[in-house]
Amino acid sequence: MSLRELLRLSFSRLRTSRLRAALTMLGVIIGVASVVALVGVGQGTTSNITSRLAGLGTNLLTISPNGGGGSTSKLTIEDSDAIAALPTIAGVAPEISTNATVSLGRTSTTTSIIGTTPAYPTVLAYDLYQGTFLTDASLASDLRVAVLGATTATNLGITASDLGTQISVGGLPFRVIGILNPKGGTGFQDPDDQVLVPIGVVQKYFVGGDTVRTIGVSVSDPDEMTAATATITALLRDRHDLAATDTADFNVFNQTQLLAAASSISATLTLLLGGIASISLVVGGIGIMNIMLVSVRERTREIGIRKAIGARGRDILAQFLVEALTLSLLGGLIGIVIGLIVSAGIGQLAGWGFVFNPITIVAAVLFSLAVGVVFGVWPARQAARLDPISALRYE
Amino acid sequence: MADPIISLDHVSRVYDMGRMHVPALSDVSLQVHPGEFVAIVGPSGSGKTTMMNILGCLDRPTSGGYSLDGTAVAELDDNSLARVRSRSIGFVFQSYNLLPRTTALDNVATPLLYQGVSRKERATRARAALERLGMGDRLDHEPTELSGGQQQRVAVARALVTEPAIILADEPTGNLDSHAGAEVMALLHELNATGRTIVLITHDAEVARAASRQVHLRDGQIVA
Repeated sequence: MSLRELLRLSFSRLRTSRLRAALTMLGVIIGVASVVALVGVGQGTTSNITSRLAGLGTNLLTISPNGGGGSTSKLTIEDSDAIAALPTIAGVAPEISTNATVSLGRTSTTTSIIGTTPAYPTVLAYDLYQGTFLTDASLASDLRVAVLGATTATNLGITASDLGTQISVGGLPFRVIGILNPKGGTGFQDPDDQVLVPIGVVQKYFVGGDTVRTIGVSVSDPDEMTAATATITALLRDRHDLAATDTADFNVFNQTQLLAAASSISATLTLLLGGIASISLVVGGIGIMNIMLVSVRERTREIGIRKAIGARGRDILAQFLVEALTLSLLGGLIGIVIGLIVSAGIGQLAGWGFVFNPITIVAAVLFSLAVGVVFGVWPARQAARLDPISALRYE
Repeated sequence: MADPIISLDHVSRVYDMGRMHVPALSDVSLQVHPGEFVAIVGPSGSGKTTMMNILGCLDRPTSGGYSLDGTAVAELDDNSLARVRSRSIGFVFQSYNLLPRTTALDNVATPLLYQGVSRKERATRARAALERLGMGDRLDHEPTELSGGQQQRVAVARALVTEPAIILADEPTGNLDSHAGAEVMALLHELNATGRTIVLITHDAEVARAASRQVHLRDGQIVA
């Protein structure tokens, strides 16, 4: 018998017992849907972390004061200059930030004002969209110039043609000299909602003092990250006159490493969740086996008739196996659709969008096929082995 | 005379019930020639059913030889027996044994399915068989929508559709009222008149009288 004949038989059989077929499939539907949805959500999380990793900047070390709170910071621009003089350092961007209201005409928005140096885009992986970035010259003379993040520019209604416009930052006039490309990312804070100004300007007009909040360091070679961390720590301890027994008043922090660890944890969790969900798939398979065994018992007489009129054992085997496969595969396909919808919905809510992974789909299809074969073969063999004489007389 | 289509040669069938051996048929020899209408008659327990199972290739003799339509079938395995059933035997049962929730047309077409006949040809031949038996207006009816007599007609059509060497009818009138039973017997006669070999198994001497030859079984042996 050809597969087409078998499928035709199987579908006409499922049509005559729709409710039972639907309930039997429900187990597989739930199993496949939860595997697809959980794996989808897990992969969304992982890819979200990965994209944030990429946006972090290459080989970034962040130096921040220990103990929290800007006032305790002992990091200075001189520290930053000293680090820049070390070997294997590609760039150093000290930062000092504050919040202020930025306005253009009647439009205003509150955002973070970050004072920094020309190395900032290199160290933190920003691209300039239009205009120029802060230069050494504007730093040297503490010019009131500003480079806007993409979000801030949009909020103020400033486009590429508006370069040179005067805006008000915390009540002082600043000239817009550049706009950054959006970096995206879905972190706690929008990395594109900021105004960059020369570091001296922030110290002079907004914060006071000569300390900086953080120093971003870009290491030239990823293999040198650990060595660079040690060198910087030694240098800063020396500069801050710390004795060997003193706790450091700063932290050198490798964010890339942390996010990489988070990403691997998330991948492991995905696997774990998928594994737990696939248990329900196995339960669904047992449901199929159960119903197929009942079906073989109920249709004993039909099997006897079919054998009497010429069906071989393998024809009966194929018929029942294809029925089980139809149930599991149909359930699997419905489950995939539901799982994709659920994971798309969660992705939408969580903000990382819809992550479609064809491998998950292929795996889900193969898995439900396997469920059909594993749990369908035994009932089908029972059917194929029935003795036609007793099957014909079965009431 | 032509070669016999059925030839039982000293056939015995002993059921192995654990410690007991129950002989159901002992040393039965029988020949049926093409075009014959043979009735195998006997009371219950005479070995009729065992005879029918062996003739129908549903069971194998414990000893002795059986050749059907030129094939020695006593030693065949299950798959080969299925092939012989498919090709050479058409069954008509007492309880019709139609496939439930399946239309008359599909019921009649099913034996052809196991012969590997294409879907289109199956439908054509099944329709022709049903029309020949006067069931042309009931093609889409399921068994529960048909009377006993009509169901048995469908069953006869199913037995005919493969053009088998013999038609094996097991108490075909047993579940029918006398009128419908007479119709089915007339049908079998008609088929026999067109040259088909028919073996009828019954306990009813009245029914058996319709056959051209009667074989009487008693206690697993042919007595007349």
